[in-house]
Amino acid sequence: MRRRLLLLAPIAVAAWLLPYGLGGYTMHVVDVAVIFAVLAIGLGLTMGVAGQINLAQVAFFGIGAYTVAILTSRTGLGFWPAAVLAILASIAAGLLVGIPALRMQSHYLGIVTLGLALGFINWVTNAGIAGRAEGISDIPVPPLFGIDLSSGYLYYYLELAVFALVLVFALFVTRSPLGRRLRAMRDDDLAAGALGAEIPLLRMTAFVLSGLYGGVAGVLYAGLIRFVAPETFNIGNMFLLLAMVIIGGRASIVGCVIGALGLAFVREALLDVSAFAQLGYGIVVVLVVVFFPKGLAGLPAQVFRRKTGERPRLSPFVPYDEVPPADARSVLEIDQVTKRFKGLVALQDVSLSVPARQIRGIVGPNGSGKTTLFNVISGFYTATAGRVRLDGASVGGLAPYRLSLKGVARTFQNLRLFEDLTVRDNILVALDRTRTSWIWRYLALPWAVSRYERSLRGRADEVLHRFGLTEFADAIPRSLPYGIQRRVEIARAMASLPSLLLLDEPAAGLNGDEVGRLAEIVRSIRDSGVTVVVIEHNMGLVMSLCDHVTVLSGGRVIADGPPDEVAVDPRVVEAYLGDSMAAPTEREAEHEHADR
Amino acid sequence: MQVFLQTLIGGITFGAVYALVAMGFSIVYRTMGLVNFAHGSVVMIGAYAASTFYMASKVPFAVAIVVAIVVTGLIGLIIERFLRPLENKDFTLMLIGTIGFGAVLEALAILIWGATGHAVPSPVATEPLNLGGVRIPTYSLLVIGVAALATTMLAFFLRRTKLGAAMQAVAMDHEAATACGIHVGRSNAMAFGIGACLAAVAGSLIGPMLYVNPTMGGTLGIKGFAAAMLGGFGSMPGAIVGGIAFGLLDAFAAGNFQAYSELVTFVVFALAVMIRPTGIFGEATVNRA
Repeated sequence: MRRRLLLLAPIAVAAWLLPYGLGGYTMHVVDVAVIFAVLAIGLGLTMGVAGQINLAQVAFFGIGAYTVAILTSRTGLGFWPAAVLAILASIAAGLLVGIPALRMQSHYLGIVTLGLALGFINWVTNAGIAGRAEGISDIPVPPLFGIDLSSGYLYYYLELAVFALVLVFALFVTRSPLGRRLRAMRDDDLAAGALGAEIPLLRMTAFVLSGLYGGVAGVLYAGLIRFVAPETFNIGNMFLLLAMVIIGGRASIVGCVIGALGLAFVREALLDVSAFAQLGYGIVVVLVVVFFPKGLAGLPAQVFRRKTGERPRLSPFVPYDEVPPADARSVLEIDQVTKRFKGLVALQDVSLSVPARQIRGIVGPNGSGKTTLFNVISGFYTATAGRVRLDGASVGGLAPYRLSLKGVARTFQNLRLFEDLTVRDNILVALDRTRTSWIWRYLALPWAVSRYERSLRGRADEVLHRFGLTEFADAIPRSLPYGIQRRVEIARAMASLPSLLLLDEPAAGLNGDEVGRLAEIVRSIRDSGVTVVVIEHNMGLVMSLCDHVTVLSGGRVIADGPPDEVAVDPRVVEAYLGDSMAAPTEREAEHEHADR
Repeated sequence: MQVFLQTLIGGITFGAVYALVAMGFSIVYRTMGLVNFAHGSVVMIGAYAASTFYMASKVPFAVAIVVAIVVTGLIGLIIERFLRPLENKDFTLMLIGTIGFGAVLEALAILIWGATGHAVPSPVATEPLNLGGVRIPTYSLLVIGVAALATTMLAFFLRRTKLGAAMQAVAMDHEAATACGIHVGRSNAMAFGIGACLAAVAGSLIGPMLYVNPTMGGTLGIKGFAAAMLGGFGSMPGAIVGGIAFGLLDAFAAGNFQAYSELVTFVVFALAVMIRPTGIFGEATVNRA
């Protein structure tokens, strides 16, 4: 951190001294470039960090600038009060444009935001109050304690101060628990929800940030140029902004700034041959997307592959402290749950009750409804009928993040680790138990956020140590062997301090040793007072590990009891070894048909 | 009533073109789950290619359309080939890649044809038909006819030919299709090619109705996309119904809100999509979860 500050000092000094060496026009170009940088930070936050495709950033920019223009020229309001209202208006626009993001993602969101941006341009080119195609040209010079801000040189220092502020805020947000949740949502919104992240609110937050940065940039633009017209906010400039963020590296705030400053100067240099310039940006964007997906910011890592010294090793698991058993209340109760997908009945009147500190095995042939049951318990699906009770309280229909806060944690059959987050960050996402409504602190009490972040980091180290993952803390999950990824997922689930842990096929793809260690971990988790429900196909593991086994077949419970009893139950044997002698299943019938 | 019917006919004519654009989006989307944001620009190139060739060499309009189809088909194949490394990996990146191609095509159009654009004379010079006081331009009939023909040919290709069946298979499950010996890359390339050909037809037809200029791609692309989404993304009947519905929405918005029609259209569209994101016919998509 201190080294970073040392590196920053010369940049700050250079930025401070820059105007002394520049001519009047170049100064103006720099002023415009800084505004683009502010916009790019906002776009980087929504697109790169939060993964929300936002092609309306240029409209937020326009709303900021136009609000200042309209309020100062039409109502005679002072520049700064108008500026505050303009930023609020942009944030409101961000909220409005963010509403579609609650219902749709990726390309849908892209086209809706683009459509709304076009709608905005259509409005300003036609509305009398916005000056139609001619725009508004009588915006006053912003007053500032007698400093003459009509000078591009002095305005630069105002911009520099604002820019430093918004840059620091963006860096602060991305490195805080909120930024981590946004990145987790970008990588896998289902898993993030299951770990307690309020996805709808986070999406709105992303668009509010986008509106905030657009509004600030708009105010700076109105104060600098003192003239607004529709063509500044057209789709061509939206594309330029997108190119800045993609070329710089969308997930890195610093990359976005570099991309914005760089392209702003290139744009200026190629102003006379703008068609060639656009051709150039387009080609560069395509090349970057195909060959350097992380942009300039990812280039150092791509060029200088870090030499791996010693191969990191998995350390042994440190068992949890044993907690003496309390009363044997039932933690999870499922009562007559039915789940239908249109015509298909995935679960039919499933009832089961899991007492505290039990390891409950759920077994059954493929397609018997095991994972559907997990999805109902963890809130991904709402049961068509029946009830789910957690510690006696009905939790049917609650969103996954609420269930996570109530103490339900789960792993996924196909592993859902956050791919672009380190192992430590994966754990940290789960450790953060705050509600998103906590975010007002980011503006009001940033030091409290920092303190909280430090305490989270300390606890993350404990979790990593306990699961023997310390040496993998800074690795990207993708780069790890499968068995270790499985362990990371269990560690992540346990980091949320659950009372009920759902493991979906935790032994799939593990070798014999790893299965043995898994059993040891799961037992220790149980002894620490957590109830465990595990779906598993490895019958050896189920027999040795589980206290009690429930067998599902065709969406119904066909057996329930201690493992050794269940294993010899004729109905279970039939379900597993097949009842094809008696009546061929649909699939088998099809195969026979095909064979003929 | 007369005004209503007149608007209706205008709306259906534009709707037929939007339907063609929407089908171009849909065929790429259902095959590879990608929204080609460059599609609007391909339509624009198609419009330029057809109109330039038609006006410069005085050949029949149909020949000009064929030339445009060849030009854009090639462009479609080039775009697909470039983005192939990203297929089934990162959709956001592919989406941005197609936006990049859109910008490239627009810049090329400015460099080749200039920034101002040109008007295209109607290829049918006959008087409009008069049906009980409602004037139906003969060109409208031509547009609707050609759009219907292209749709029928596409449906025939998808339903009745082996290549079409292979493409449907890739749309349903690209891994299973690979296992059956279908070259997924080639199938995707074909989807892109066909999408681009449909774009050329749409562009050629819309040329005489609008002023052909380099920025027409953006608006047309979004309207076509919106049409595809209204009908249910990836569904072919949905694209047709959505196209006509959007054409009507557009025409009536233009009649009632004049200059603000674009704003009204996009706001109505945003609301419609928010209420029912899967569109009228539901999304016929590759399940990538």
